[in-house]
Amino acid sequence: MDARLANTWRLTLNEKNFIKTALLSEIRIDGRKPFEFRNISINFGREDGSAEVQLGQTRVMGIVTAKFVQPYRDRPNEGTLAIYPEFSPMADPSFEAGRSGESAVELGRIIDRGLRESRAVDTESLCIVAGKLVWAIRIDILILDNGGNLVDAANIAALAALMTFRRPECSLGGEDGQEVIIHPPEMRDPLPLIVHHLPIAITFGFFIDENVVVIDPILNEEAVMAGRMIATVNANGDICAIQKAGEGVSQRVIIQCLQLAITKAADITKQIKAAVEAYNSERALQKIKRETTCVGNNVKGDQNQTLDNKGISELVGKYMERLKLISVESYASQNINAEETKSLRRGTDSNCIKFNSTPLSWDPYSKCVDLEFLKASVASQGLSTASEEKEATGKEKGSEAESAGPYEDVNSKWSAVDASTTEMHVIGPKTLKDAVKPKNKRKKKASSMI
Amino acid sequence: MEVDREDGRSQNQLRPLACSRNILHRAHGSASWSQDTKVLAAVYGPKAGTKKNENPEKACIEVIWKPKTGQIGKPEKEYEMILKRTLESVCILTVNPNTTTSIIVQVVNDDGALLPSAINAACMALVDAGIPMKHLAVAVCCCVAKSGYVILDPTKLEEQKMKAFAYLVFPNSVHSVLPEGSLRVEGEPIENGIITSVTHGIMSVDDYFYCLERGRAASVKLSDFLRRNLQQQSTDSSKAG
Repeated sequence: MDARLANTWRLTLNEKNFIKTALLSEIRIDGRKPFEFRNISINFGREDGSAEVQLGQTRVMGIVTAKFVQPYRDRPNEGTLAIYPEFSPMADPSFEAGRSGESAVELGRIIDRGLRESRAVDTESLCIVAGKLVWAIRIDILILDNGGNLVDAANIAALAALMTFRRPECSLGGEDGQEVIIHPPEMRDPLPLIVHHLPIAITFGFFIDENVVVIDPILNEEAVMAGRMIATVNANGDICAIQKAGEGVSQRVIIQCLQLAITKAADITKQIKAAVEAYNSERALQKIKRETTCVGNNVKGDQNQTLDNKGISELVGKYMERLKLISVESYASQNINAEETKSLRRGTDSNCIKFNSTPLSWDPYSKCVDLEFLKASVASQGLSTASEEKEATGKEKGSEAESAGPYEDVNSKWSAVDASTTEMHVIGPKTLKDAVKPKNKRKKKASSMI
Repeated sequence: MEVDREDGRSQNQLRPLACSRNILHRAHGSASWSQDTKVLAAVYGPKAGTKKNENPEKACIEVIWKPKTGQIGKPEKEYEMILKRTLESVCILTVNPNTTTSIIVQVVNDDGALLPSAINAACMALVDAGIPMKHLAVAVCCCVAKSGYVILDPTKLEEQKMKAFAYLVFPNSVHSVLPEGSLRVEGEPIENGIITSVTHGIMSVDDYFYCLERGRAASVKLSDFLRRNLQQQSTDSSKAG
């Protein structure tokens, strides 16, 4: 009992008064204006349906999975969607493991109402056999870091994950036409979910003085505010859900907030769509690489639901992505990496900038190698040519004595080279160069036109 | 004997490593470790008071393991226990008696060698939080195949296919200003010791010793990587509060 009291975080009276007084002159303690949102950065994981959203200091991860269930009896031809929020004790010392508090339940319900009840995801397309078998989509929301305004961040994470999730294609077959065959991703492309619109949650904080309203409150502001309203709206101007608690606020203020929410929702929708587009194009690119190099190998057409993408070529693609990441990062030099950790604390623009430069940076904080080490290892190991890269690693590392050198050692030379163009040429199979050619031609045309 | 691994690596090759510290703001220390398998670790501590059955004369370590999705079951409890014992032997427990340090491990992506990645991430997070430790724990995973060869750092598929695999945790290699002899334990250097070893499946004694040998060599490389990484970031300003 004493221990728990000792470990809770409280804001001092001085801090509370400071925040309130500053807000009266429309100054927020992190320098934003009252109606300014923090920077949002969306990153995707390796698997489909996993997204990590950073809203200033708040970090939330959304993971979407699907499995077969029997449908509800009153809706026999619709799939189900369920949201599981998890307030990890990692995010805040006051979050307890296991038992989720009332704020976790509230968050789950708000996102549930916004997504499911507004029919943002098409559940009828999730039906396989009416009355017997449907897809159940499960969205796990993991709160990793609590920097205030968890609902908005969690909502964006859930949406981003839903839009990039792919479920395996399945068809009816078998003797009686009632057997369900699940096609592994190598045979048939997994399908995306049908999302009609994107409901975005916007949180407003109200304070004792009626004229003081802030959007996207941070942790300290949340501890001070007297009331809060979460409006889930979409870019079309529809209100999907409203949740209001705390101090009474006049009607005029509510209407103003709703109008503001719709404009903000439009911005955020654009951002989410751009991020998903970038992810999808990267994914398509990787698929091309996988298919061209798979020509020679026998594609294992096993019906086991392995759902793994561990074909050599795919991994080559992934390692090339990683090289691109390494090269871009070490190209950008140590400074950006050092700044990055600082900027994470300040929540400035550099996160967003970084996101734009490496679209599939699924590990935005990776610091694979540093420049000096790369130069040193290049000097010590000598150069190896592009096509022999894989054999070279095999020969060098195959020896008994030395063993476990990481990939970085041999791939070091790529760090110093320009990312985009050489990355394509490095891979080796001639078909890829052909795939790249049009791009180069386009570039040349563009430059010649200029 | 050249071995054909699916992703083209050789027997003794690890996957590319990436790790970073200080990624979370609320946690006192945090780190992420990825070698295809990605794990996030956060540390809160030292907090006041120890748990019920723990010795109040020493600091107590509490581990919470969060899987990617799904309920917490027996495997997670086992991981928590192994991690707790490993970290208890690495941390200096007498410095802050009657306190609890909580370590929360979140699995972001599981692609083989999950426990070793978690141990590495937890160690980095402890360093980031400034918890006093004797040395770091460096973990690797070795697999033994039916024909007797040993491969390092298996993917999830390889782990499932192989006859047996072992998670091995070694102390990291020490660079010290003290004279050579003083850091030896019973005449052997510290890094020859084993902190934790968890095996699955059947393997012969010779296979096990072979794994140890390989694991030790890999741990040297890993400790170099860790040292470089930690030294680089140590110039960043410390977090307030």
